[in-house]
Amino acid sequence: MGRILQKTYDLCGAIAGGLILCICLLISAQIILNAFGRFSPGTLPSTIPSYADFSGFMLAGATFLALAHTLRAGGHIRVNLVTGRLPERAQFVLEGLVLLLAAALIGYAAWFLGGLVVESLHYGDVSNGIVPVALWIPQSVAAFGLGLLLVAILHTFVDLVQAGKPILSTPDEV
Amino acid sequence: MSDPMIALTLLALLIGLLATGVWVAVSLTIVGLASLMFFSNAPSGLVLASTFWGHSHSWPLTALPLFILMGEILLRSRMSDDLFTGLAPWLSRAPGRLLHVNVFGCSIFAAVSGSSAATAATIGRMSIPELTKRGYPESLIIGTLAGSATLGLLIPPSIILIVYGVATEQSIARLFIAGILPALMLITLFAGYVAVRAWLNPDLIPPMEQSYSLKQKLRASRRLLPVALLIAGVIGSIYGGLASPTDAAALGVVLATILAWGSGGFSWGKFGAAVMSATRTSCMIALILLGAAFLSVSMGFTGLPRNLAAWISDMNLSVSSLLVALTIFFIVLGCFLDGISVIVLTTSIIMPMVTAVGIDPLWFGIYLVIVVEMSQITPPVGFNLFVIQGLTGIDILRIAKAAFPFFLLLLLGVAMICIFPQIVTVLPNMMGN
Repeated sequence: MGRILQKTYDLCGAIAGGLILCICLLISAQIILNAFGRFSPGTLPSTIPSYADFSGFMLAGATFLALAHTLRAGGHIRVNLVTGRLPERAQFVLEGLVLLLAAALIGYAAWFLGGLVVESLHYGDVSNGIVPVALWIPQSVAAFGLGLLLVAILHTFVDLVQAGKPILSTPDEV
Repeated sequence: MSDPMIALTLLALLIGLLATGVWVAVSLTIVGLASLMFFSNAPSGLVLASTFWGHSHSWPLTALPLFILMGEILLRSRMSDDLFTGLAPWLSRAPGRLLHVNVFGCSIFAAVSGSSAATAATIGRMSIPELTKRGYPESLIIGTLAGSATLGLLIPPSIILIVYGVATEQSIARLFIAGILPALMLITLFAGYVAVRAWLNPDLIPPMEQSYSLKQKLRASRRLLPVALLIAGVIGSIYGGLASPTDAAALGVVLATILAWGSGGFSWGKFGAAVMSATRTSCMIALILLGAAFLSVSMGFTGLPRNLAAWISDMNLSVSSLLVALTIFFIVLGCFLDGISVIVLTTSIIMPMVTAVGIDPLWFGIYLVIVVEMSQITPPVGFNLFVIQGLTGIDILRIAKAAFPFFLLLLLGVAMICIFPQIVTVLPNMMGN
């Protein structure tokens, strides 16, 4: 079970990385079109319609899909200046509380983002660029990413209880 | 409850959450939620969802993962090895000799990477062993490295300036350009300090090993040329208005990839590692930005920052005394928090106060980044100190002591841009719109 979950986080993380590469390719393609437009106008279409919108949606997708993977890789920043000096038992208890608090908050956020998706579906909201995109599509990716983060937090809580000692880490690079 | 009481309660909650080790982004969101639930009538869940969604897909923010990726790719290319061999022949005659490799190596690397810790790690990995072997004094090796690596935050493309620009809705292109002259000023201060130390105490610096002819110098640095072109291309296209920072970032990633493959030693495995590392870093920063955006919106509903701003303007503080107070506040804050958290907290709470007394937000961004640079080399939480400790195994307090002169130089830099704000504003003003 734990291994399947970890594979899911990593797969979503890899999709997020792929989305960042897609953003890069899309914008580069637009730059090439701009250059063509300057040197020999008319040979190629001058713009990719709504490319800024699409880049933005892919960015949102990349951020939300990578949340769980980043959490499991210890990539989210926290301050361990105070907790690092406490006895191990106290650290263990605190980490449990921190994880439950984070789970409650992320659960709350995921629930209301889900609500946003339902609302967008109900009113048929679309983005206001040249190519109208139904907003529920990228929004449901965001809600899914937060849901997966909730799963990853609870998963880490189970790991913590099983390990019986503090396990949270923090990145040393910004 | 009265306003000051509410502000103190929320501040205590924030400090409590951060101190117990709650993730920074989660702490910011919880404080935002608490202020909405208890001190306003807004529907907190709806505001949370729409802020998280609304701030997650902006065009300026798209530059963030791309610039991070560009740095990650070049970090894994041969460029970092080439910096030492390429720069050393040029600097062997300067007073202070190869210590300047740290200063200029960090500056060049900072121009392709937006991170100060990555700059310290990349340059230090090759300069510390080389300089120690040649007999340079430890305190100056570590000091120059720790100090110069902080330039990663200021020299464009800078991740932290993107964060500031997105959070305060300032033009990122103008922020990048505004950072150039202050960065050159700091490089001059650092190099000047090394030269003065060497001049006052010539025994400190080992003798020159060999002299190089111009041809040898050019030969040694031929591989740096493509990197120089990449830097000039990225910054030049933004300055000339040819490309937005996001466009320049995408092009930078493509060019960096071509450069890395062209110089050899790059593989698909390294490329994949660069992409995943960039994905995680950008996800972490984006989540903090979402938390901070929600905190700003919530603060707007409670009206606290507005009242705080009014209170400050009623005190008729002069701009300079406010800046002195803020600088001390940020230095203390920076001892405990990382740079990005300092920036987003500032923009959620202090920004209205800053604009109320008539400080230019563009100038304030650069000021804030230099102050955050100082916090990178102050214990107990100074990321550059951690990185150098990891590289050398030297005790963190000794590293902090070696870096202290550079802390003072940065403070001098802050004083300079306060007295001569033109250092910041002249280039962006010439840029027009």
